Amino acid sequence: MNIKKLLTPFTAWGNVTKDPVTIKDPLNERPGADRYRGFHRNDVEACVGCGSCEDICENEAIDLMPAKDTKDGDSGLRPMIDYGRCCWCALCVDVCTTNSLTLSNEYTWISTDPEDFRYIPGIDKKEWDNNNDKGWKKPEPNYEFYPLKRIQPSHLSPEDRSDSFIEMMHGYSKDQAMQEADRCVECGICTATCPAHMGIPEYIKAIRNDDLEEGLRILYDTNPLPEICGRICTHKCETVCTIGHKGDPLSIRWLKRYIADQNPSERYKKILETENLVSKGKKVAIIGAGPSGLSAAHYLVQMGYEVKIFEKLAAAGGMMRYGIPSYRLPYDQIDKDIDYILSLGVDIQYNINVGNGEGEISLETLGNDYDAVFSGTGLHLGRSTGIPGSDNKHVYASPDLLRWIVEGKEFEVPENVVVIGGGNVAMDITRSMARLQMKKYGKVGVITTALEGEDKMPADREEIDEGREEGCIINPGWAPKSVEIDSNGVPTGLNVVKCHSLFDSEGRFNPQTDEDNKEFWPGTMIIESIGQGMDISYLDGKYKDQLEFGPRGRVQTDEYYQTGLPWLFMGGDIIKGPDVITGIATGHKAAVGIDRMLNPEF
Amino acid sequence: MQKGINNLIEKFGASDLVERRSGLSFITVDQTKAVAAITHLKDIDGYTVLSFITAADWIEDGKMQLTYMLNNPAEVAEIAIRVMLERKKEAGESMETIHHLWPNAKKWQQELKEMYGVDFPTSPGVNDSFILEGWDDMPPNRRDFDTKQYAEDTFFPRGGRVTHDPATYMREQLDPKDPQYYTKKKKKDINS
Repeated sequence: MNIKKLLTPFTAWGNVTKDPVTIKDPLNERPGADRYRGFHRNDVEACVGCGSCEDICENEAIDLMPAKDTKDGDSGLRPMIDYGRCCWCALCVDVCTTNSLTLSNEYTWISTDPEDFRYIPGIDKKEWDNNNDKGWKKPEPNYEFYPLKRIQPSHLSPEDRSDSFIEMMHGYSKDQAMQEADRCVECGICTATCPAHMGIPEYIKAIRNDDLEEGLRILYDTNPLPEICGRICTHKCETVCTIGHKGDPLSIRWLKRYIADQNPSERYKKILETENLVSKGKKVAIIGAGPSGLSAAHYLVQMGYEVKIFEKLAAAGGMMRYGIPSYRLPYDQIDKDIDYILSLGVDIQYNINVGNGEGEISLETLGNDYDAVFSGTGLHLGRSTGIPGSDNKHVYASPDLLRWIVEGKEFEVPENVVVIGGGNVAMDITRSMARLQMKKYGKVGVITTALEGEDKMPADREEIDEGREEGCIINPGWAPKSVEIDSNGVPTGLNVVKCHSLFDSEGRFNPQTDEDNKEFWPGTMIIESIGQGMDISYLDGKYKDQLEFGPRGRVQTDEYYQTGLPWLFMGGDIIKGPDVITGIATGHKAAVGIDRMLNPEF
Repeated sequence: MQKGINNLIEKFGASDLVERRSGLSFITVDQTKAVAAITHLKDIDGYTVLSFITAADWIEDGKMQLTYMLNNPAEVAEIAIRVMLERKKEAGESMETIHHLWPNAKKWQQELKEMYGVDFPTSPGVNDSFILEGWDDMPPNRRDFDTKQYAEDTFFPRGGRVTHDPATYMREQLDPKDPQYYTKKKKKDINS
């Protein structure tokens, strides 16, 4: 080592008294450019915690942390950024489904604690939170990683379907399903809202992978009626789809149908690995072959129980068969789902009523003969408005008429019909009557009203729109006052008055009407479709005292739908809902409850 | 049309002209004619400043795009020359150097070699490290470089980090008795 190398470091001391050549900063501000990508901002009220930012982050700089209340459509989680890993690429901003995440143009921040550089933007307040006009935002419009418009399956035109009960919606083609599936960001926000908690992102991914057998397995984990739900589910999942914040929500229902449609029924057992189910001896009786009963039967037989269903009517399906018109849900698709469940070894006896009358089988007998009983008897009784004239024999309840149509029972179809009700069942009877009129008269004469205004009607939007396309007059916002009856005892029409609001300031049902604003709608048949009631008279007798009844006469159950009678479980519309997917979920959970009771060691 | 464009089209067969705004045009030139076209722009048409050279990896199309941004100070105009190279699976695309036209080009070319794997033979120092000292992996700006895998292999995770899957977390919060895991397990038990 020479002497120069040894002394060189000390030459730096010669600069001690000289002016520095560096600039004295950070005392002077040097703001980032207007579109500079600096520290994150998050509008935590708009964010729904979908986690797309976390998924896309190449550096794993983002964790989702509990920060708000969890509710439908909002996980309550919010992204926490680790600035030890963030590379400021802004992919998290570009993929954000709600546009809540942005970057400020602030890039300088000093702290002596490294943990300070890991925080939840919007929750942990920072000085750049309100600097909204600068930094990086997702450029709008048309800067999206996924198409905002949904792929619409084709369907019969109003002209082609208006006199026909042939299924109106065509399923997705492979290309259409692939394109629609490609819009999913796999956040899973939808799964909590689905009453059955279906593995929605997983089965959509199976479509993307063109692995429809895996898709079917995922469907049957939570839903043994996929052909049915793929057509008529109330698709609550779609109301919370995060893509729906900026575009059309995913067509989750049609994607489910695509999987079920593409798998032939003869391969179901092999795909679902149910060819060799073993019975373990214990027996469960199920009252009613509706969605909840069939769901319970499916999961119980898979768990090794002998299951027998007691069905009042001549075919299985409950309201799915007897309440939903075949243009929405064809009978062969109902049969495909039900036949598979029965093929697993589920026994079914038709035309048998559970009750205390002659020719009926009593609940007591079932309780004695079986280790457990599940009841899902549904809502089959039509409710009446009770307005003057509503007791006339030409005033019908929608469940009766819908059932008659399925059974092929003859009844008079008049030229003019008035329907009272704004829900999906009201739309079903409206559109069914319109079809029957079209067949008979070549024209439609149905007018349907509801207390609710246009935007508050409980029916699905597409049901209302399609009904109008088919020539039905749907005129919401009117309250029925009386049915006008002529001297022969036949209705001539319905008197209505304008309805302004349904609920008072405290949220109680209290319709406000304008009695001076009235109309008369002619019709020789009036149909009431304002909700359905249940018939649980089979509970009468010695067990009734052991059951607890809640609001609207509903039997109270625990979280596994077990009643005060330990061997009696109840589910479906008589307990919760009403809708098919909720019925399926209650049947599934009751099956788990029954198994926990009968096999507590598992 | 800005100065030089006609020459590019007529003399060098340039195509795909995009006039992004007044005084900024993008145009594509064949790889074999690109350096000649750039030389013509510099020496004849007044594009005397090389602003930068950059690249884009069109992995789906099997192309590696080079973009030479040239500036004409007198006309206040810019032309971006796009050159589409055939992309190689294992990197090593090759392009003629232009450091003889602008000495500073050697630094852009050195960076492109390091970050994209595009070689510029005879460019001084082209194989020297630019910023990635001791790098022994695929050039990191190539699209098939797995940034996440590299980060996982190279760095240790920060202690104390946890995250939550939205779907699982929501079900735990809203329906802790979710039946599906139970029945899945049960079915497996029955079949076994």
